[in-house]
Amino acid sequence: MSEKKQIPEVDIVVDQEAGVIREVKPEHLRSKSGHERRVNTSVYVILVLMSVIWLAPFVFLVFQSFRSYATESGAMVAYLLPKQWSLDNYRWLLTDPSSKFLRWYGNTLIVAAFCAVLQTFMVLSVSYTLSRLRFRGRKLIMNVVLVLGMFPGFLTMITLYFLLKQLGLTQQGAVPGMILIYVASSGMGYYISKGFFDTIPKSLDESARIDGATRAQVFRMIIMPLAKPIVIYTILMAFMAPWGDYVFASYIAFGSEPNYNVAVGLYQWVNVADYQGFFTRFCAGGVLVAVPITILFLALQKYYVEGVTGGAVKG
Amino acid sequence: MTDLEYFKLSKPQKMLRDAGGFFARLPKGIGTGVRKLGMLIVNILKGIGANLSDLVTTFKDGDWKTRLSYLIMGFGSFARGQWGRGLLFFLFQTVFNLYMFFPNASISGCYYLGKLSTLGTIETYKEGRRTVYGDNSFFILLYGVLTLFFIAAFIYTWRVNVKQNRISEQLLKSGHKLKTTKDDLDSLRDEQFHKTMLALPTLGVTVFTILPILFMILVAFTNFDATHQPPSKLFTWVGWDNFRQLLSSDTASYGDTFRHVLLWTLIWAFFATFLNYFLGMLVAIMINKKGIRLKKMWRTILVMTIAIPQFVSLLYVSKMFAADGLINTYLMKWGWISSPLPFWTDPTWARVTIIVINVWIGIPYLMLIATGILMNIPADLYESARIDGANAFQMYKKITLPYMLFVTGPYLLTSFTGNINNFNVIYLLSQGKPLSLQLSGNAGHTDLLITWLYKMTVNDTNYKLAAVMGILVFVVTAVINLIVYNMIPSVKNEEDFQ
Amino acid sequence: MASVTLEHVKKVYDKDVVAVHDFNLKIKDKEFVVFVGPSGCGKSTTLRMIAGLEDISGGILKIGDRVVNDVEPKDRDIAMVFQNYALYPHITVYENMAFSLRLRKMDKEEIHRRVCQAADILGITEYLGRKPKALSGGQRQRVAIGRAIVRDPAVFLMDEPLSNLDAKLRNQMRAEIILLRKRVDTTFIYVTHDQTEAMTLGDRIVVMKDGFIQQVGTPQEVFDTPQNLFVAGFIGSPQMNFLKAKLIRNGNDYSVELLGTRTALNPDQNRALAEKNVQTQEIILGVRPEHTSVLFDGKENAIECTINVNEMMGSELHLHLSSQNKDKIIVRLPTVDLTKEQRQQLSYGNRMYITFPAKVMHLFDPKSERNLIYG
Repeated sequence: MSEKKQIPEVDIVVDQEAGVIREVKPEHLRSKSGHERRVNTSVYVILVLMSVIWLAPFVFLVFQSFRSYATESGAMVAYLLPKQWSLDNYRWLLTDPSSKFLRWYGNTLIVAAFCAVLQTFMVLSVSYTLSRLRFRGRKLIMNVVLVLGMFPGFLTMITLYFLLKQLGLTQQGAVPGMILIYVASSGMGYYISKGFFDTIPKSLDESARIDGATRAQVFRMIIMPLAKPIVIYTILMAFMAPWGDYVFASYIAFGSEPNYNVAVGLYQWVNVADYQGFFTRFCAGGVLVAVPITILFLALQKYYVEGVTGGAVKG
Repeated sequence: MTDLEYFKLSKPQKMLRDAGGFFARLPKGIGTGVRKLGMLIVNILKGIGANLSDLVTTFKDGDWKTRLSYLIMGFGSFARGQWGRGLLFFLFQTVFNLYMFFPNASISGCYYLGKLSTLGTIETYKEGRRTVYGDNSFFILLYGVLTLFFIAAFIYTWRVNVKQNRISEQLLKSGHKLKTTKDDLDSLRDEQFHKTMLALPTLGVTVFTILPILFMILVAFTNFDATHQPPSKLFTWVGWDNFRQLLSSDTASYGDTFRHVLLWTLIWAFFATFLNYFLGMLVAIMINKKGIRLKKMWRTILVMTIAIPQFVSLLYVSKMFAADGLINTYLMKWGWISSPLPFWTDPTWARVTIIVINVWIGIPYLMLIATGILMNIPADLYESARIDGANAFQMYKKITLPYMLFVTGPYLLTSFTGNINNFNVIYLLSQGKPLSLQLSGNAGHTDLLITWLYKMTVNDTNYKLAAVMGILVFVVTAVINLIVYNMIPSVKNEEDFQ
Repeated sequence: MASVTLEHVKKVYDKDVVAVHDFNLKIKDKEFVVFVGPSGCGKSTTLRMIAGLEDISGGILKIGDRVVNDVEPKDRDIAMVFQNYALYPHITVYENMAFSLRLRKMDKEEIHRRVCQAADILGITEYLGRKPKALSGGQRQRVAIGRAIVRDPAVFLMDEPLSNLDAKLRNQMRAEIILLRKRVDTTFIYVTHDQTEAMTLGDRIVVMKDGFIQQVGTPQEVFDTPQNLFVAGFIGSPQMNFLKAKLIRNGNDYSVELLGTRTALNPDQNRALAEKNVQTQEIILGVRPEHTSVLFDGKENAIECTINVNEMMGSELHLHLSSQNKDKIIVRLPTVDLTKEQRQQLSYGNRMYITFPAKVMHLFDPKSERNLIYG
């Protein structure tokens, strides 16, 4: 099985006009035609330009996060490279008593961790059930979810705020409140993982059931081990979402600064507070958030791509 | 006209015919819809009738255990040894009764139900320095809705409880054994596994989505706003007033602003969806082109905008384009411009900037999707096209594009709906600014319905209009979905290309 | 080991689509029964109802003496082999075969013994450590069968187990199933669309179409005495020839008039037709390609045809003919008996003369499509 494929030095090609079989050098050995080379060059130019545009803001962000707060300024300035590189901003974020950054970071991390576990559980339960079990009301559930999805999510927030307030899960209780809100309705986002489950042959379930497994055992022993890519995808999505959420977090934690998540906290530095003084600190905070998330994402990129393309194709 | 004649027509003729066909089918479609609705109503009525007559026969034919179950839920199950089911029924009835007739009247279901029609009559007032709380309209409405839910659930459960008795009686009569509580528990892992799996998600969605949405739909018909805030003030039903206020063009109304915002929402959703779509596909084709090296690297670079949380990237980019941001300052430093470009201060500039920045965020996502699909297009399609003499552009037009559109049709639809509700991009970039005196209700030129809704809620606590707006967003989304579902064949005929 | 009884079993989808109508069959203990028919005939649905994978809309299904309508598949004591093998991709062949035994909490030693024994029977011992992905189609099919035999089930269900294999492997596996059946010796129900498989494997064949049973019988019965046009056409390859003809009654004697020829029927046939009081009528005459006689000299009472296609299959020759009425007739001739001149005579475009002996004629009523003698 593992014999290496030899790349042939020549391809055999049927020349249709001459009606003869010829030996031709394969593509990677053939000298490209001029037209082909010109096209490829322009594609490279475009790709390089795009790469610059795509990366520049992040590079700038990093530069500015290293600008010295003490000797230069924390505001937006008219130059890019710091005159003096320093860790002032980071030091302030992590150690200064008036900085709540660590607290926000912790809040978000807690929310993200809980969501990664609970939300994944909810989403997989729903998608598995709707994909592989047949029962009365299945179509109805899917239609109801479809209709509910057409209402803007924030609409529910007004009611939920008052509900949560009754339970003490706003402001001081914002962190558990956020977890509750993210997780409770997350079952509605079953679409992509259902698409994945749909691709696993049904005969596997049937075979296992004949072999003596209950449906719960089929789920645990057969389907879950096969669903690893989509499980990772779901965890990744559930973990990443809370880092970017502004709407719900800002509303639930309204006015209670220690209970913000990073998005809300950094947002007010830039837009509400005197952002000029906090700009480089925002940059440093952004770097601290973005770096671990980006590494995580790139490491699991494969699963993300699988989930996204699968979901879009199956609609 | 036969199919053969149709094939001979030129392209415009075909389109004309297709369009004609659509409108020709329209009355029939509407007719079918009306008929279906009528059938539905008839069926519901029939169902109710059947249930009622079944209740009577069950009572007449039933033994004393069954009859007693009409009053005490779960009694029959208990008496026949199914104590698990019996216990559940009985518990449910107890909780329901407790809730409805709680001795402390001000927190019982009946109290809320009774007040639902007025949303409270007793105002909160001050007696010296002490505040005496009256009715709280908010809770009356919320718990009123909850009580209605509860009553519906009770009727359903009661009906199931009676039905259980009948089924059990029949089973026993025909010599079968009844399921024991252990059987019932076992079946939750097997035949009834869907109930186990869906219990928690259903509860979550009911309490955290359905209930709030129903509540907000009702709020749209009240005057719940900054001047009617419980507990100090009452609010009450006002009928369609809020819709009138939001839609009509009187000076005191928001009609013009609403239309302005709605138009921009649709323009935005259109560009955000299709511009990203085509550019993303283009990039995917470029990266996947034969002979381009480092494919993985290009992809990874682009994917950075997905990986980095949007509030970091968008907030930073928003500042880059500010009047004192990097772009303006450098352009001025280099002497290309003398005053800052009005990225965020001129309505048109702001709109274009937002769409362009959204391309930066959106292309990678579509590039990934398109890459996945491009690789799935059967190679023999291209080979046969090449043999037929097609060039690269023709192949794109005749194979790649139709295939992509076909496969991603449903995705485009969800993406369009998603963009209508794309809060993050707008709010993190421009907060809806620039504001304008022409627009009322604090709306700005780049506000979408959803960000305007947010502002109304958070800044103005104008819940009634927020609720109306939410409903209108739903209507817009639903209408678009309906049209697309009926017009685009790919959403319906999923099999064609497979 | 158990019998399987189906009484008025019915399957209805969505309230009005009937997949199986009133299915009645008693399968004896240790019998090998094949359900055969074109796709959509309800054979798989019936099998899946027996397995418990589909609800039964009406009627009674018994395995042994137990009514199992509402019994879960796992409690029916059956094993099933699927068309696409349905091996669990994430565990080894060994674990695949042990899966059902582990679920039944069987003793480890016993599991090992059974898996090894089954692997030995099927010749897959050396693959026990592999994952299914690393196996060829034939090997996978063996594992699927092995997974079923370790269970030692009362009923063995097979749903088109050979359809995913190539032709050569299919022939080989077919022979192996015959051997396997001798060793396992239990009740088999086998579903296929391939009439050759049905004929070679089954003790009895159940021919189905559109949810109805067309005929139940041993392969020989179904082949010799097809009860209707469909069964006659479905069983046998190449397909039976069907020609418009006329049945003529003369007292208690009958004869068939076809393209100017006239053939008197045998006494047996006469008796059967007379008993049913069949009158002179139009019929559809069925004759199998291998039952045609070719006349190389003389054309007395013979049908004149033109040769359209001449297919040399090696041991036999298939001729596609057309009569003067443009009827298509296929003739199958063993090549052993043909002389060189005769072969020459049977080439494209030539004229030839054929006759149908009375004993090979199948007579069908054009309206009811039933066999006038056996139907």
